[in-house]
Amino acid sequence: MQAFLDIMTIFTQPQLLLLVGLGTFAGVYVGAIPGLSVTMAVSILISFTFSWDVYPALSLMIGIYMGGVYGGSRTAILLNIPGAPSAIATALDGYPLAQRGEAGTAIGVTTVMSFIGGFIGIGVLALAAPFVSDFALTFQPRDYMLLAVLGILLVGSLSQGSLVKGIFAGALGIAIGAVGRDPLTFDERFTFGLPIMENGISFIAVMIGMFGVSEALLQLHHVNKDAVRQKIDKIVPSFATVKKHLPLSLQTSSIGVLIGALPGTGGDIAALMAYDHAKRVTKNPERPFGTGAIEGLVAPETANNAAVGGAFIPMMTLGIPGDAVTAIMIGALFIHGLNPGPMLMIEQPHMFWFIVGALITANFFMLIFGLTGIRLFTKIVEMPRSVLIPLIMLLSIVGAYAVNNAITDVYWMLGFGLFGYFMRHYGYPLGPVILGVILSRLLDDNWRRAIISEREDLGLFFQGILTSPLSLVLFIAVILIFVSQTPIWHKGKARLLGGKAA
Amino acid sequence: MPATDPDIYIDPEHHDGTSDATPGGEQTQRRPGELVFAAIMLIASLALLWSAYGIAGFDALSSPGAIPMATTLAMVITAGIILFKTAKLPLDHSETVVRDILPPVVLVFAGLLIAYGILLRPLGFLPTSALFLIAAIKLLARRGWGWTIGVSLGSLITIWLIFRIVFSVLMPSGVVPEAEFIQFFRNMINGGAG
Repeated sequence: MQAFLDIMTIFTQPQLLLLVGLGTFAGVYVGAIPGLSVTMAVSILISFTFSWDVYPALSLMIGIYMGGVYGGSRTAILLNIPGAPSAIATALDGYPLAQRGEAGTAIGVTTVMSFIGGFIGIGVLALAAPFVSDFALTFQPRDYMLLAVLGILLVGSLSQGSLVKGIFAGALGIAIGAVGRDPLTFDERFTFGLPIMENGISFIAVMIGMFGVSEALLQLHHVNKDAVRQKIDKIVPSFATVKKHLPLSLQTSSIGVLIGALPGTGGDIAALMAYDHAKRVTKNPERPFGTGAIEGLVAPETANNAAVGGAFIPMMTLGIPGDAVTAIMIGALFIHGLNPGPMLMIEQPHMFWFIVGALITANFFMLIFGLTGIRLFTKIVEMPRSVLIPLIMLLSIVGAYAVNNAITDVYWMLGFGLFGYFMRHYGYPLGPVILGVILSRLLDDNWRRAIISEREDLGLFFQGILTSPLSLVLFIAVILIFVSQTPIWHKGKARLLGGKAA
Repeated sequence: MPATDPDIYIDPEHHDGTSDATPGGEQTQRRPGELVFAAIMLIASLALLWSAYGIAGFDALSSPGAIPMATTLAMVITAGIILFKTAKLPLDHSETVVRDILPPVVLVFAGLLIAYGILLRPLGFLPTSALFLIAAIKLLARRGWGWTIGVSLGSLITIWLIFRIVFSVLMPSGVVPEAEFIQFFRNMINGGAG
């Protein structure tokens, strides 16, 4: 009952309601403008909400997250450019539909399906998180350490590109997070004797640089491309269409929640897996997949929005982010003096239920904004890049400066912006860097706790891992990810699959 | 693993990771400058490993240097593998550094951003931003001065109002007497009301 009242908090305060609405609106449109990603929007905005109370700040960010995951699908459909990682799979059938002149239908179906998926994700979050956090209380420091490693590895291996580059990026992130004076012993780490480095590198500067400035610099390559005009008519889908795809949407939503709930994996992977699933179970699609099948839209869109709720499970219960956006959200909670993890659920359950309430609200706003305002939408998408890019750069600078009122943060931000620009060019994923920076402290603390409790004995440490079922499962998962990238695995897999085919 | 399946590797037009969904790079070829970047990463990783060793050496497994050493070691190993793999790939001859990786416009903008950082404190937020926006928009849009200055100042004022009032972000005021300005308007409004 108390939980229900806490969920309702948001509806009793018009200001919070308005902020969720505003955030969702901004998320939908930011996600829809090619060259503006949700990650960028959240990372720039987090620094501005720094001086706010935690509730309004969370309301705005949750709105942007929910709206952005959905908004990314619009550019995927209209321009074949996924606005967010989670919309990669949406482009596969969405763009062909738009080319056939059915962009309106595609957007309508996407909106309703995102709404359904979003709700299933939130439902699972509300039901499962309290149990997970109870379970999480039994976690040992070594389990947290293994989970952090697993999270970084999963982001590196499942996102596009090579695992080696992913591991490099993740390790770089952990090293960046370690810069400054060690909080336990006060030793200097990676400071190179410079007083400026003693306080460490602000993770917000890293984040805004990598996701804001580097993206803006890349957009400079595309300044002269004309915005594509698309004619969009009726978008509210018929009830029959929705009903027909309901069974599939339930299956793909479950996939979405599950993948979202794994630490380190978020909407992008959920959407791709769901798309794969739909391809296998749909016997007679109206059109073949890849040429504009409605099923190919339903699957990724339900899954990526369901994954939002799922991704909040490890974030709220373990303090381990699901993807780049939840990593930034964890950073935001830290800034506001909250420590996501099992203790947060026990000490401040109202915070958890407030987040659930905000997610529900954001989901409704998403449906409303998704089905209306098409005329405004086409205007915004046509906003010239020659104005947009300088504005993003300006906002990035203001954002980096605002957190500590320090000009050094601006320089760090610009430095990481240039570095991120090259990383993007050469196929190094940026997600693991942010995850590494956020998880650096957790990894370091828990490793030291774990090894001190085993009296500095590696043998005892591994014995501990082998005798605890949970640690063992996590350890095996870490090893499996490594093995899956070596040639031995591919040979074995080829032999197994080859045998089956014959 | 579906994400690494080449069939669904989406790369709308380029290999630059414009959207953070597509990390960029090419899987079968080496982009110009990629080898140099990989080599720099390896050297930097080695330097960081040396620096991490300097924190506490092999003092204890729980020392403040343990995790930094482990991560920088991971960086050295992965950077080494990346360098080796990159060196084996054939060079993409259809691209050049000047056209595809670091075109002059990107260098100019990097310069503008650094200039912004240098001028921000002495000159203040409003004049620096106005200069930056006018220069940047003029460079990119190549339209008349009237349009450029109008759009720049219009968006700057909007941004300033939103962040100063809604987000209460304080930027260096520099040469502009911002506080007096706001106070002047407050007095005017209050005076009008009273």
